[in-house]
Amino acid sequence: MMTGIRNYLIKPRSIAPLAIVRIVFGAVLFISTLRFIAKGWVKDFYITPRYHFPFYGFEWLHPLGPTGMYIVYGVMALAALCTSLGLFYRVATVVFFICFVYAGLLDKTYYLNHYYLVTLMSFLLIFAPANRKWSVDVRLWPSLRADQAPSWAILMFKYQLCIIYFCAGLSKLTADWLLHAEPLRIWLPAKASTPLIGPLLRQEWAAYFFSWAGALFDLSIPFLLMSRRTRRVGYVLVVIFHTLTAVLFQIGMFPYLMMSATLIFFFDGQTVATVQPVREIKGFRLALLGAYFLLQVITPFRFLLYPGDLLWTEEGYRFSWRVMLMEKGGTTFFYVKNPETGRKFEVNNRSFLTAYQERMMETQPDMMLQYAHILERYYKEQGVARPEVTVQSYVTLNGSGSRLYIDSTVNLAAQQESWFGHKAWVLPRK
Amino acid sequence: MGLAGAVAGFVLFLAACSKSGGTTNNGGDNGSPDTSLVKLGNAITASYQGLAANIAPLDAAAVAFAAAPSPSTLTAVQDAFKLAYKSWETVSQFEFGPATDKYLTTHFTNAFPTDTNLIKANMGGTSYVIDGLGNFAAQGFPALDYLLFAYGNDATLARFTTDGARQYLKALTASLKTKSADVASTWSSTYKDKFGKGKGTDAGSSLSLLANSFVFDWDVNLQNYEVGIPIGIYGPTTLPKAPAKVEGYYSGLSVELLAAHAFAFVAIYNSGINDKVKASSAQSNGQPLNTAITAQWTTLTTKVTTLPNPLSTGIQNNDPAINAFFTEIRKMTVLLKVDMSSALGIKISFQDDDGD
Repeated sequence: MMTGIRNYLIKPRSIAPLAIVRIVFGAVLFISTLRFIAKGWVKDFYITPRYHFPFYGFEWLHPLGPTGMYIVYGVMALAALCTSLGLFYRVATVVFFICFVYAGLLDKTYYLNHYYLVTLMSFLLIFAPANRKWSVDVRLWPSLRADQAPSWAILMFKYQLCIIYFCAGLSKLTADWLLHAEPLRIWLPAKASTPLIGPLLRQEWAAYFFSWAGALFDLSIPFLLMSRRTRRVGYVLVVIFHTLTAVLFQIGMFPYLMMSATLIFFFDGQTVATVQPVREIKGFRLALLGAYFLLQVITPFRFLLYPGDLLWTEEGYRFSWRVMLMEKGGTTFFYVKNPETGRKFEVNNRSFLTAYQERMMETQPDMMLQYAHILERYYKEQGVARPEVTVQSYVTLNGSGSRLYIDSTVNLAAQQESWFGHKAWVLPRK
Repeated sequence: MGLAGAVAGFVLFLAACSKSGGTTNNGGDNGSPDTSLVKLGNAITASYQGLAANIAPLDAAAVAFAAAPSPSTLTAVQDAFKLAYKSWETVSQFEFGPATDKYLTTHFTNAFPTDTNLIKANMGGTSYVIDGLGNFAAQGFPALDYLLFAYGNDATLARFTTDGARQYLKALTASLKTKSADVASTWSSTYKDKFGKGKGTDAGSSLSLLANSFVFDWDVNLQNYEVGIPIGIYGPTTLPKAPAKVEGYYSGLSVELLAAHAFAFVAIYNSGINDKVKASSAQSNGQPLNTAITAQWTTLTTKVTTLPNPLSTGIQNNDPAINAFFTEIRKMTVLLKVDMSSALGIKISFQDDDGD
């Protein structure tokens, strides 16, 4: 059976889909990096804030100074352009990946599923021979040219995209989404001024229609795209769906990333005899691919190991393709107590965090914990030997009404983050 | 998929791409106005017109007082000041559009406690630019509060024996007059229509601008500056209480200003924000959110009239009514900042949201 799989994975295929995705997806990455710089986000996200919320295990990473951060983004844009052109492809993809991951790990405030998508796609691009056709590299080194690529190099993108859509679909199978049409019921009426479909969005049934259609789309699109007979219909749906979301929601480049990435399902027409013989897939590469996909399949379901409501606690929420599922808002009143004097005072969050960091922190327990430790360190430097940090936090999820979110008696300064530990101080959703 | 299909897909894709440049943040004009926004725009315009109408006589009274300081001209300018300051409380919720363009913001108009040393220096002959960036803490209503009231009428009349003091007073009221007239006329001539048409909830839409500014004014200006800081909730090193940090400290207007501010919030909420909240399905403790917010407005407007007057004396005496009032303010902060913002689905930032 292993030989069967192996033979399937090395079967030669037209290299066209890889080259097309490289060109188009690379161009979208280039545009979106320029857009990021042009919007002033390098400054707003990495230069202005006094404190950051690094991902667990990467606290040793810090933003560079203003010049350094602009260089990182400049290099990232250049690498994206080179990827698209297929110029110094391997170096370009590695450089892009490193810059992008570095920026992403610095502060989880800015985490978006579509940045995670870019991370994964750019990682896979490193290993794909996508520069062997229609590229500058082929012009420079004609021997690189190939009309075929091993099947695995194309399949890995297809499987990755299928996992994304399918997991996004599964995560919509909840009572809030299907039975109450939340949060679309909150979001859609506000879009009543949209041309053509606007008036419909005010109707309650529209929220139900979009909820069910969205879930159905996400769950069926992998099958539609994988099958040769239905993939055209699938792609038309992809374009319609993502264009609609681009019009309705403030989601930036995500629709275009998906529309360009899904081109991988096309252009696999018959090719002439191979110019370049397909190499055998090495055992370790096979194992690496296996491990990667195992992780991709398991990660979205790690939430099952935690007690409580996922959307409420957000334990196992990130890296799981859970998108548009909640309208969540919160506010926090942090208190610092000096146990030696008994004096307890409230902290003005805005003197530590930017408005955006504060807003993100106020609904995410792990960020609250990080913030508590930022406060602990700050007040230790101010001469409070053992500052106790507590929070009164109120959160509302999908219009259900604000409730106390964190146990306000727990000294967060004494709580530690861990890899996958459960946070017992997050109160259950009632 | 044949080549034609590929090209078609690509063109569609590019068309979609180029579209994103122009229309994703629909803060602009898109056709017919929204009824609630029109109501709100009219109410806001009326508030600014009221402010301008109260500042013009303040400026006239200040000019008259500066020309001939006397107990009677002082009383006249003090009375005009009280009216104007109270109407400021009806516009501090709208720090966007014309107000920020003309710097008629809390930062430049109502930063308290005022910087008395800077004021004295300015009056004493140091050169100053009245609306300069470095002068924010020595201008606006708090500066007038100090100049016109500090340490009683005799001390005040004595303060105005110098030309520097008279010039500074006139510069302060002239600046307020120009800015408030500008903002009122911009709202009524052009911005009101633009506001009525800025539909949607994205960052930059009228509802987003209004709700964010409204919530910020409640959370930061009313809750923190007007009550929280004076009663001493912040800071490990500051004294627990700072009664002199109340708004309108020298004139003793603190409670009247706080009441005017609270009532102005209710009025604006009821001018159309309430329609938006009612239209949502949001709940609070098993009842519609609008019911909960309305009930809390009633609690606040009832309690504010029973506060010890002036607030600074009450804080000095540890009056429990003030702390109880702060607790009620806080409940409203949660309702506005968490429940209302979420029910309206408004965005505070231009940053991208998570995709689909």
